[in-house]
Amino acid sequence: MTGRSVSPMLLRLAEERATGALLRDHGTLYLSEGRIVHAESPAAPGVDVLLTAGGRLPRTGWQEAVDKAGARGAVGRYLVDSGRVGGGELEICHLGAMFDAAFFALAPASGPTRFRYGVAHWFGTVRPVSAAAVERETLRRRELLDAVWPYEAVDSAPVVARPPAPGQTVTRRQRDLLAMADGTRSPAAIAWTLGRPAFHTLLDVRRLAAAGLVDTPQGPPQEPAGAVPPWVAAISDDPDIAQLRRLRDALEATL
Amino acid sequence: MPGIDACLDEAMALPGARGASVVDWTSGLSLGTAGESPGGDAEATAAETAELARAAAEYATFAPEAAVTEAATSEGAATEGAAYEGAASEADKGLPVEDVIVSTRTGYHVLCFVETTFDSSVFIHLWLDGATGNLALARIRMRQLAQRLVLG
Repeated sequence: MTGRSVSPMLLRLAEERATGALLRDHGTLYLSEGRIVHAESPAAPGVDVLLTAGGRLPRTGWQEAVDKAGARGAVGRYLVDSGRVGGGELEICHLGAMFDAAFFALAPASGPTRFRYGVAHWFGTVRPVSAAAVERETLRRRELLDAVWPYEAVDSAPVVARPPAPGQTVTRRQRDLLAMADGTRSPAAIAWTLGRPAFHTLLDVRRLAAAGLVDTPQGPPQEPAGAVPPWVAAISDDPDIAQLRRLRDALEATL
Repeated sequence: MPGIDACLDEAMALPGARGASVVDWTSGLSLGTAGESPGGDAEATAAETAELARAAAEYATFAPEAAVTEAATSEGAATEGAAYEGAASEADKGLPVEDVIVSTRTGYHVLCFVETTFDSSVFIHLWLDGATGNLALARIRMRQLAQRLVLG
């Protein structure tokens, strides 16, 4: 479907051990010395949602951590040091949120890519991961979705539950998800409500659709709003600096 | 500070330990890994063990208490999801399955589920050598490690 690499620019930045923020159409990846330390996407619930949705962390506790430690970029550290969240728990939660956001940020429909050197995220570093590992995981996830149920339409449509066939069992986590399927909520909305990563919800919905427990809408999936044409990404994803310099020089010479 | 790496180090200190990893069973994501992995590819191992863990964690057969509550359907909600309203009940507290053990010709695999206070699906995988490993000890220690990983 697509090439081996999700983002040549990301791999190049990793190679030069860059620090900063890689801004893409569907999300942002934060690098520290070439390793990915944080990711954000409007499509994926953040650590705050994952921790507060189930009542694990009161919203005020999260706000306090942001107020006290946000300015020095150590919110994660503060949550652990103040005893709000265990160290291992924070790692599990943060890694889950990071790979989730990265999956959407590195989506093929993404538009222009820019990198802002020196930018760090206020959450702070928890457990850095190599850019290559994030790329591999993102590709694996795309393939996994299609291997389970190759109908993209279920990813964005409102989830409509279907009654189980006689003798068909519905598992614990599936029940939680289906209880939220009121015919208007999309998989993303359900992810937010349950405090689960968005990819996990997409995957569960595809599994449910494959089992006939969720409707599969007919026709092609809706285009995500605000996406620029793919040729923009194709160019800006991998700017050929040498070529641009030659062009500039040639232009200057003719003037 | 206890975390994934400390947990993996302790798992690897068990007699006969060949490899250990922390894996998310919904997605098959490897959150951390130490030592060897059976096929030489830790990410592939994570994805495969996740499939097994998911089956064990999800099938009703292994969670008999949870199945009982399915009859409890709430009256008020006339939505399509009403049949599933029994979702978060008393019987769902605590994990239905604690661990999965696979015995192979040359060793053992212990998949020990981790219970977090937020919604997650994580387990620790320990690969143990059949000749030098102690399965009973490993199982007890893995349970402790799984608890310590989140309490920290």
